[in-house]
Amino acid sequence: MNKTVSIIITLGLVVALGVIFIGGEEKTPAGNNVAIKDGIQYITIDAKGGYSPRVSRAKAGIPTKLIMKTNGTYDCSASLLVRSAQFQQILPQTGETEIDIGIPKAGVPVQGVCGMGMYSFQINFES
Amino acid sequence: MLKKYTFHVTGTHCASCKILIEDILKEQDFIKSAEVDLKKETVSIETESGRDISELARTLTDKIKPNGYVLSVQKIMEENKSDDTIWKAVPIGLGFLIIFFILQKSGILNFGIGGAITPTTGFIIGLIASVSSCLAVVGGLVLSLSAKISEDNVSDTKTFMLFHFGRLASFALLGGVLGAVGNAIGINFTFSAILGIIASVVMLLLGLNLLGIFAKNRVALPAGIFNFFRKIEHKTFAPLLVGFGTFFLPCGFTQSMQVAALGSGSPMSGFLIMSAFALGTLPMLALLSFGSASFAHSKHAPFFFKSAGVVVVGLGIFALLAGLAGLGIINPIFNI
Repeated sequence: MNKTVSIIITLGLVVALGVIFIGGEEKTPAGNNVAIKDGIQYITIDAKGGYSPRVSRAKAGIPTKLIMKTNGTYDCSASLLVRSAQFQQILPQTGETEIDIGIPKAGVPVQGVCGMGMYSFQINFES
Repeated sequence: MLKKYTFHVTGTHCASCKILIEDILKEQDFIKSAEVDLKKETVSIETESGRDISELARTLTDKIKPNGYVLSVQKIMEENKSDDTIWKAVPIGLGFLIIFFILQKSGILNFGIGGAITPTTGFIIGLIASVSSCLAVVGGLVLSLSAKISEDNVSDTKTFMLFHFGRLASFALLGGVLGAVGNAIGINFTFSAILGIIASVVMLLLGLNLLGIFAKNRVALPAGIFNFFRKIEHKTFAPLLVGFGTFFLPCGFTQSMQVAALGSGSPMSGFLIMSAFALGTLPMLALLSFGSASFAHSKHAPFFFKSAGVVVVGLGIFALLAGLAGLGIINPIFNI
């Protein structure tokens, strides 16, 4: 194989890798996974092969709980870590887990990441 | 009468080669002392035998040839093929990485398995896990260690058997323990994340080593790590221990199974679930290790080591960034 050809192929492959890593569309539009009931804000996030939605928008200043939904989840997204809430647990394979994240402040996002660090989600709080 | 001879040696690509050659040569009863100079690529021996120098070179080469070293009186000019090899190896290595990450991204591996976990589902989950993102850590580690061990040519089959045995045994035993204890003995995230980071650093070092980045100045690996690998290569205990350690490496599937074993309520079912899971991961990992060995002994060896180096470095970077994100040191960069 010619060296120049190899370099061109290599560059192409690097670009492809970049697209795989950085690319990725948001399936659920931000906002519709948030509901307020009896003065408590619930944010629902699906955990299976990653977290969905990856970015959520919610209100700051009211008591907030995360609901993690799993459905036959065995991959990394089951082992969830939410640092700001000091939550560290392996979610049940199927079910819902409630996480109290207190009263979030505006502009301070809450981030969840799976045990291996390859999946993550973020919730931005606005006043 | 004691006479000193100096030979040129080829094939000394690693620091442990020095020890290996010296050990083998010293076993010959007509040799009083042997010393390898990796920098100059020479071997000096002292012997009482009055044999001709080129005859000595032939005799000794016969002893160390099985390990890939050749002694000669004249310096053999090393053919500089490596440039070519690396340019072929890089696209191939990247190709494998892309296939791997596309597979992760596609979501094929995320199908759910409902109901209670039985040994059968454990086995299936093991099969899935062995091609999942866990492969980035466990598989990358297996590939880099296997390639390295095969490159150094030390009884690799035995080492791999021990590793896989250690892995199976640890899953079975600890599965039983989890089932018996019945509540979380603290499968600590931070602990496994740190282990993952150590594994990724090992992968990076070995990957760069396979690529030959360090080869020029013959600084193979820092002494401590190098001693560790020497142990892995020569001892029985170390590969067992590494196999054992894979139980604690960060992998979502493994952790899920650990929880399932916890919840199973009896040592026997925990034992069965974890054994089945480990058995499920075995085909892929065995393929990686024994595949490395058979490539390493073929004529494509240099090419294989370079490609494996690219793959291992790629997975190492991925595992390192993911591990750092898992510890909260950096922001998560990707979602694979």
